[in-house]
Amino acid sequence: MSAVAHPIVDHNVPPGEPPHIHHMDTPTAYGAAKLGMWLFLGTEILLFAVLFCSFAVMRYYHLAEFHDASKHLNLWAGGFNTVILLISSFTAAVAVTKAQKGDNAGVVKNFGISIVSGFIFLLVKGYEYSEKAHHGMFPFVWNSDFYHYKNFLGLYFCMSGLHALHVVIGMGLLYWYGVRPAMNNRFSGKYYTPVELGALYWHLVDLIWIYLFPLLYLVG
Amino acid sequence: MLGLLGQQGSDFAHKVDYAHDVVTILSVICTVAIVGVMLYFAVIYRQRDGKDHETPRIEGNNTLEIIWTVFPTLVCIWVAWLGYDSFVALRTPPANAMEINVTGRKWAWDFTYKNGKKTTGELVVPVDEPVKLVMTAKDVLHSFFVPVMRTKADVIPGRYTYEWFRPIQTGDFQVFCTEYCGNEHSKMLARLKVLPKAEFERWLADDSEARKLASLKPSDRGKELYVSKQCVTCHSLDGSQRVGPSWLKIFGKEGKLADGSTYKVDENYIRESILQPQAKVVQGYPAMGMPSYQGQLSDDDITGLIEFMKTLDGTQKVEVAPALPKKSAASTAGMTPAERGKALVNDAGNMCATCHSIDGSAMVGPSFKGLYGRKEKISDGSEVTVDDAYIKESIYKPAAKIVQGYGPVMPAMYEGKLSDQDVADITEYLKTLK
Amino acid sequence: MAAHASAAVNEELNYLNWQKGIWSWLTSTDHKRICFLYLFTILLFFLAGGVAALLVRTELAFAGPTIITDPHTYNVLFTMHGVFMIFLFVVPGIPATLGNFLIPLMIGAKDVAFPRLNLLSYYVYVVGALIGAVAMFNPIDTGWTFYAPYSTTTGTSVSLMVFAAFVLGFSSILTGLNFIVTIHQLRAPGMTWMRLPVFIWASYATAVIQTVATPVVGMTLLLIIAERWFGAGIFDPSKGGDPVLMEHLFWFYSHPVVYIMVLPAFGVVGEIIPVFSRKPLFGYKLVVISSMAIAGVGFIVWAHHMFVAGISDFSAKFFSIVTFLVAIPTAIKVFNWVSTMYKGSISFKTPMLYAMAFVFLFMVAGTTGIYLAMLGVDVYYHDTYFVVAHFHYTIQGGAVIGLIAALHFWFPKMTGKMYNETVSKFAFAALFFGFNLTFIPQFMLGMDGMPRRYYDYPAEYQTLHTISTIGAYLNGFGYTFALANLLYTALFGKVKAPRNPYNSHGLEWQTQSPPIHENFAEIPVVTEEPYNYGTPTGRGH
Repeated sequence: MSAVAHPIVDHNVPPGEPPHIHHMDTPTAYGAAKLGMWLFLGTEILLFAVLFCSFAVMRYYHLAEFHDASKHLNLWAGGFNTVILLISSFTAAVAVTKAQKGDNAGVVKNFGISIVSGFIFLLVKGYEYSEKAHHGMFPFVWNSDFYHYKNFLGLYFCMSGLHALHVVIGMGLLYWYGVRPAMNNRFSGKYYTPVELGALYWHLVDLIWIYLFPLLYLVG
Repeated sequence: MLGLLGQQGSDFAHKVDYAHDVVTILSVICTVAIVGVMLYFAVIYRQRDGKDHETPRIEGNNTLEIIWTVFPTLVCIWVAWLGYDSFVALRTPPANAMEINVTGRKWAWDFTYKNGKKTTGELVVPVDEPVKLVMTAKDVLHSFFVPVMRTKADVIPGRYTYEWFRPIQTGDFQVFCTEYCGNEHSKMLARLKVLPKAEFERWLADDSEARKLASLKPSDRGKELYVSKQCVTCHSLDGSQRVGPSWLKIFGKEGKLADGSTYKVDENYIRESILQPQAKVVQGYPAMGMPSYQGQLSDDDITGLIEFMKTLDGTQKVEVAPALPKKSAASTAGMTPAERGKALVNDAGNMCATCHSIDGSAMVGPSFKGLYGRKEKISDGSEVTVDDAYIKESIYKPAAKIVQGYGPVMPAMYEGKLSDQDVADITEYLKTLK
Repeated sequence: MAAHASAAVNEELNYLNWQKGIWSWLTSTDHKRICFLYLFTILLFFLAGGVAALLVRTELAFAGPTIITDPHTYNVLFTMHGVFMIFLFVVPGIPATLGNFLIPLMIGAKDVAFPRLNLLSYYVYVVGALIGAVAMFNPIDTGWTFYAPYSTTTGTSVSLMVFAAFVLGFSSILTGLNFIVTIHQLRAPGMTWMRLPVFIWASYATAVIQTVATPVVGMTLLLIIAERWFGAGIFDPSKGGDPVLMEHLFWFYSHPVVYIMVLPAFGVVGEIIPVFSRKPLFGYKLVVISSMAIAGVGFIVWAHHMFVAGISDFSAKFFSIVTFLVAIPTAIKVFNWVSTMYKGSISFKTPMLYAMAFVFLFMVAGTTGIYLAMLGVDVYYHDTYFVVAHFHYTIQGGAVIGLIAALHFWFPKMTGKMYNETVSKFAFAALFFGFNLTFIPQFMLGMDGMPRRYYDYPAEYQTLHTISTIGAYLNGFGYTFALANLLYTALFGKVKAPRNPYNSHGLEWQTQSPPIHENFAEIPVVTEEPYNYGTPTGRGH
């Protein structure tokens, strides 16, 4: 998943020093890791681009249904989640600054807030899904009154589901490549690549939601 | 010129063939020239003694490189224009073109003329008159290809596409389906029959049946459609149970849907159920049992069906002409039993294929693939082996032993319709579907 | 080319033998070993796909049922042929094997940028392949194109197979990403962009396409699963979806994927011809520009697969015109290869024979592609055997011949042995004639209007089909013979390869054969352009 090519917790390396990589020097490794991550984020955006494109086409065919169906989404829950993700993205950015200053406790704290925010986001999302299922606006339990919303809801579940999966992966990355090594005082002004990459990934997760929210909840 | 694409059947075929000729001549010249130069270099600059010789360090030549960038560009513009020009001809039907509706389905072509005349597998058109085919598909993608006319277009469920041609000679021509559509894709053929104009008019007018339909009062029109659109396969008129609800006293009926909510059969409910059968399925019936008739029934047809249903109030017994069995026109002489069985299964009159697939996919009933010899659990929990006796019983008395997971929906209409010999032949056919 | 590496290393120790045991191979992050992991796996699928092709050809040898008694099995076989050959053999093909082996060697690096990710890509590929193999228990019958709504309604295990393709795509993305970063970051001192060998440029263009196009098809395949599992209503028209949208998304990947397959082969030919002609590659800059142009333009031509698929006439016209833009850089490349031979000192080792065959086969592929780019003519040829023959000339005549050429060319470097020249020339002849015998009749079948994916056909097509089948067997024999020769000499060959058997200027030839674990004892410094063969004052013959 991650484009980080070197061990994060390497006990042979003193804290704060970049790990030794046998086939390239440290600045090159930093550049390579960053370029790799940006490319990977590009592929993620392309992955979602298919869904955005399908959304545009389906909306063109089923304009009225899309309009009506989007009113059935819980605007408050969606709005709350947007705020939550914005906060988490902010703390992820703060964590990078902390890492650059060698403040490992700050990394743990700020990434911790981001991870908890991710949890809250998923809980709210789960609540929204169960609400939909309860009303028969869910695959397998369609209520026939809402069956004509299936094109909108099908895309809604694909898009928000895939995004939720990215939230889960992002939480894992923040923990594994950020919090855990930070607890071992791994980061310093000389070495903070994993924190930066983890934060980049988390910003992407946030960014995609910033587009999903108005598209699904507001425009419809 | 070169005639590589064979006989020209339409007035624009020569445009396509001209473009084809030009690009063929250019391609042969280019390939021979390039490969010729390459082989020439290979021969004269070969190492005669197996040793490397001194060579000049030529890294490029701007003039040459500009020439072979510009020259192919110019050639490309020319051939692109030829392709474009012929395409415009292919895609621009004259306003007075005769429209024929084409429906592709697994695995046959249906043609409907403006006067209501219908054919399957045979498209009859007049010579020298432009014909526009307005096409849609019932199930999956198909493609209507008439090589001799040089035209082709995909046929897509849920939308219309078109193609047109003006035949320039009479005769019988081949039509292919060129978009892969499943097992019998290579058998999804049709014949294009181009007739002299007067003969075509006679053929078209000889259509008492369809004309009758248009002149009927709505409820009688519905009654005709009930048979011809094969509603009869799944909906009885006497209250007996088939795949779908019986139409006896159906209008005004109330009840529960699969999801527990209630419904009342009125005009709009019927219309929706015909066009979007999955939208509101009555409790106890298969969710995917009915195909959509979107695009196949006109508003008048639907009105006719509704009016027909209204007459089924139980006050008088309504009978329709038996839903076939018209014997399949094809002669079965000289066929092996298995081939006869296959013909019977595929015969539209018997409608086996409506509910039983032969590719393993579950439809309303179990697939025929691998059925023979299999052990099946039936609804009372016991196990039966699918053998000759079981098949015979299931055809004649479908309700007797029903495989678990399927409903008691197969009509008991085959006793008397299929002979013992027929059943034996079908059994032979099933044995081949492993 | 390079101020060569120091020779003060133990010539006996190399990447093949510095660690021993099967486990050391399966867990190796050495790009050269990963090349071999890929090579063996993809050749297995080449074999499986080839057997499927021969079964299909045998069935088609005569009208009516021949050896396959029902159309379903036939449909499964041609689908298997397509899926195996495309997703499991040709797409990983040159990039994952020779790309892996050569990119670090050619740019003077010790390994790719992310060696562990490289190994992960391989195992992702293996997982995808295994899922695909499991799907074969209820084998799919959709064709490799997975068109909806057939793919969303058929009873076979489409979900599993498209998921396999999704996983394989993921592997392809990671490989592409790795190569882009490697080429950007790990070039040796002095290895400027305009000193990169054309194989690197081709691999770079390929990697860009892999990274940009593959996510799109990945998501599209997931949507097919969503459609099958809970009727998302995106592609299935009976649920309000749009099957043409699926075709657009599919071809947005599957057209560029043709360049993923064939661009590296262009690169291979661009490496082979200068060495065996003892001449610099003619018009290096233009060749580089044309590679990148093909990669770029390749993204805006996808709907030329859909001229009759129900797209608007305006779209058809647009996509036809841009398709011709691809023809121009392709033509430039051919002209440059041939010009490279001018006044050369040409020797006909097996790789050179393959390279020259490639030029011929690609001329046929390219010119028949022009027919298909022409709107009016494509309407006739769409989904006929003409298309089948055209893309086999492109993919087999291009990508596969390119791979076989490359395996011969770099064989001494990869294995440290020399292959048997006589046997490989004989195999080449069988393969080349077999190939043409298979597909020239198929062009003629297409001219007669024979549709593709037909289990049975009208009797008048039989003669051409029979000839084609004979050719297919000869072709299959040629491949088997060529690869068996390589395998045999790799394992049991006695002739040791020198460091630089062809006297090439390529950086990969400056280190020992086979190279040491980290390629170069000392990172080389590059001081020259890549193909400085010949002398500035030389006059040739």
